Amino acid sequence: MIKQEKLRPCEKFQQEGREWDRLVVHRKDTTGDEAVVGHTQLRKDAVEKVTGTALYGADVNFPGQLYGALTRSPHPHARIKAVRVEKAKAVPGVRAVVTGADYPEPYGQFIADQPIIALDKVRYQGEPVAAVAAETEEAAREAAALVEVDYEPLPVVNTLEESMKNGTLIHEDWSRYDCSSVCFPVQGTNIGDQFHLKKGDVEKGFAEADLVVESSFRCGQLQHTLIETHTATAIANPYTQDIQVWTPNQSPFGIRGLMAKIFGVPAEKVRLTMTHIGGAFGGKYEAKCEPIAIALSLKSGGRPVKLTYDRHEEFEATVCRSTVQYYIKTGVKKDGTITAQQVTGYWDAGAYVTTNPRVDYNAGFAAHGPYKIPNAQVDTYVYMTNRTLGTAYRGFGVTEAATLHEHQMDIVARKLGMEPLAFRLHNCLHDGDEGITGEIISTCAVEECLRAAAKNVGWDKLPDRWVDEEGNLCGKGIACFNKLTGTPSTTSCVVKMNENGSLYIWSASREMGQGVTTTMPQFAAEALHMDLDRISVAPVDTTMTPYDKTTTSSRSTFHSGNAILEACEDIKRQLCRLAAVKWGCAPENVTYTAGGIIQSKKNPALAIPINEVGKSGIMHEQDPVLAIGRYGTSDIFDPPPVDGRQSKRPTVMWMIGAQAAVVKVNPVTGRVKVVKMGAAHDIGKAINPTGCLQQIEGAIVMGLGHALMEEMIYEEGILRNGNMVDYKVPTFMDSDVETKITLVENGHPEGPFGVKGIGEPGLVPTAAAIAGAVCHACNTDFDSIPIKPEHILFRKEAED
Amino acid sequence: MKTAEIHVTVNGVPYEKSVPCNQTLLRFLREDLFLTSVKEGCDEGECGACTVLLDGRPVNSCLVLAAELDGREVLTAEGLAEDGRLHPLQEAFIEAGAVQCGYCTPGMLISGIALLNLYPHPTREQIRKEMEGNICRCTGYTRIADAVLLAVEKMDTARAEARAAGLPEPEFRGIDGRFSEKWNSQYQS
Repeated sequence: MIKQEKLRPCEKFQQEGREWDRLVVHRKDTTGDEAVVGHTQLRKDAVEKVTGTALYGADVNFPGQLYGALTRSPHPHARIKAVRVEKAKAVPGVRAVVTGADYPEPYGQFIADQPIIALDKVRYQGEPVAAVAAETEEAAREAAALVEVDYEPLPVVNTLEESMKNGTLIHEDWSRYDCSSVCFPVQGTNIGDQFHLKKGDVEKGFAEADLVVESSFRCGQLQHTLIETHTATAIANPYTQDIQVWTPNQSPFGIRGLMAKIFGVPAEKVRLTMTHIGGAFGGKYEAKCEPIAIALSLKSGGRPVKLTYDRHEEFEATVCRSTVQYYIKTGVKKDGTITAQQVTGYWDAGAYVTTNPRVDYNAGFAAHGPYKIPNAQVDTYVYMTNRTLGTAYRGFGVTEAATLHEHQMDIVARKLGMEPLAFRLHNCLHDGDEGITGEIISTCAVEECLRAAAKNVGWDKLPDRWVDEEGNLCGKGIACFNKLTGTPSTTSCVVKMNENGSLYIWSASREMGQGVTTTMPQFAAEALHMDLDRISVAPVDTTMTPYDKTTTSSRSTFHSGNAILEACEDIKRQLCRLAAVKWGCAPENVTYTAGGIIQSKKNPALAIPINEVGKSGIMHEQDPVLAIGRYGTSDIFDPPPVDGRQSKRPTVMWMIGAQAAVVKVNPVTGRVKVVKMGAAHDIGKAINPTGCLQQIEGAIVMGLGHALMEEMIYEEGILRNGNMVDYKVPTFMDSDVETKITLVENGHPEGPFGVKGIGEPGLVPTAAAIAGAVCHACNTDFDSIPIKPEHILFRKEAED
Repeated sequence: MKTAEIHVTVNGVPYEKSVPCNQTLLRFLREDLFLTSVKEGCDEGECGACTVLLDGRPVNSCLVLAAELDGREVLTAEGLAEDGRLHPLQEAFIEAGAVQCGYCTPGMLISGIALLNLYPHPTREQIRKEMEGNICRCTGYTRIADAVLLAVEKMDTARAEARAAGLPEPEFRGIDGRFSEKWNSQYQS
């Protein structure tokens, strides 16, 4: 036990070029003077993490454990003629070798297009062609290198543009695959999915416009660069088919379903035990090491098998954020009113479809941003190439969409001669407006967010561009966005009172740094008026933890919070009943007070404060106190039909926010420095304010990398910068950004205490705001990110 | 594989071990001593997650061979807390909100200790420069710098209180005059 005086949140550094404030727009189920909710609480997982005792994926070890290693394809696209494993099997210490022939059935969440190990052909460099388990990591790697594969190289589809010619097909026959109802491949093409939204008539809208502006924008391919690489340790019993996997995954039940399918066992046979996660951001949503570790364990007689990817494998052969090429056309009246807007987009999704249908879908609904657009259209296509696999990356494509629409807003504003913020404010959505699905918009504080973000950088006092005393080109940019959370989705929790009166929350919402293991107990502490220290989140294990869809889409606090509040109401009823038994009265004569006291209505002397319930004896040999909470959004969801995607309620919750950036550009070196970032996000209600700020601050630096540095560079399907030297992510040296953050609280009618989501939002407008500021500073329409020094040095200035 | 016999002190505990000559310090610490705070992030010296203090100096343990450890001292994040009490830098990481997913945290703490040996009262610029080798994807780094500054304050306060009470100044794990002097002279030369 740590002999520790009580630690307290430290906020003394909030003045030094880093401030935050709170803007209350609307309160829902909150007075603002709650005891626990709304106040910064120290993270419950922090002591484990600073002492190095928190166990992450690769920290789990078992006696008799084998080590896995993979033979990976050097070719981005090739037919497999033969795989010979004899030499590999002969390496001392090798216990199992698995090839594609062992598991020929492909899998996939949306379309089953991917084998766990390549079978007849490889579709990206680094695709697994064989797996080995051995007594030591060295033996496993040596054996993997000795697997002989005869390849017949095929033409490589390196770029989106080549893929769109459909000359070489990555998947020759989509119809062979088991396809879900939410994925739309086109037979005989490289199109793996598509999305079409249509509101009104864009042609009519363009005809009504005084000005029609067209532009394009491209977002480069990014790697999540999680510091913890993918890993899994499996024990799979070949006789009983019981499978257990220890993994740092953000989607325990999603992975359980996939594993059950791949291995042909009922879901209850698959047990996923979750470790701490060393960064996820969507990158640990797919099954990567899990199925291969299971296959190796099955083949080695049930020995534990650990498979951990190294950094090069992580870059080449896990997941990434897809490249997207967007085109946008906007019709606008002279007074700045948008009459129509049309977005067309092409994703380079890599070799397998994976989560791209979800990326395409979410980005589709966000492609026009939080603006009033009477005639709107979106047509986007997911194209396959011989590159690593695209997936979710903190925002499911919405970051890319925001970069597009905000770049266009700046161009249109300039052509109209309007100030960029004024043009946005003229068109932005307010409560009661119609969104692009025909939904009547509510709880939408985009104007408040835009104004606050602008104020946070002193927008009004700055010109669009200026030159500072050192000769740097300076500029400001602003961006706003709207992002939906995946709907419908469900969650559940069990809240269990221990014999001493403390509480466990069983919930599959995964802690991945966003702080959900602190916010969930905050809800319970507030509801029951109980000490936060007495409430903790139980470890997550799919055999015990109740169902939650996934920890994605910024949905955890909103959904789990609702479930926990429901369970806590039941806890109160159960405690009143137990007290009634003890006091020999009817249960209706006992009440649970707002102050957390179990109180006899008749006899004021009979009262048990919640924090003393363990000592009170009311639980002794009585029914255990155990409550269930559920929350789902199927009932409110109006499914958007495939033709046009019009819907009165496409999502339970829109996230809204805005950020403004000030940059300076060195005209000699092309180096960009982000000087200031002002942010304002409508979070509904800040449950743990420091937790919200951490999300936004971290996202600002992450997005700075996306805007200015990061890009996976492929040549003929070969990744040229798959390491942390050549693929640059922001370091401490890039963190010197003056930030001011406004937490806008516009309570959501269905959110617990009005809460919305904040996991993804901070990233969404960051790159867009920075790119806008760089464009202004350089007087250039840079039409892609990252904007690197060479783009700046060879820029062509805008004419108008 | 040839082996080497080493006498090494890790977190104050002496060990006598026979190690393969190609084993890295990272794997020695994780696999032989079960000190899993030492994280592998890239295995090529770029991410800093495996940073440990070797004779007071921060090293990427993935780039050091265990065979080189004979007669030397290693400090990992497991060695920071003492007698059930957190190190002021650990406290500061918690209080300043410098921890999110936590994977980079042990390496960050060790780099922070090394920085404080080099600059007992660092500026933010010095913190950014000296801790640049540790990559964090969650926090945006600024709260980590806050935590270092808060730790400085905590240690200064503890020393001042001890002096005022006429007690010997408290010592903090890893904050070590012997090593800092040696490292400073090497670093600056």
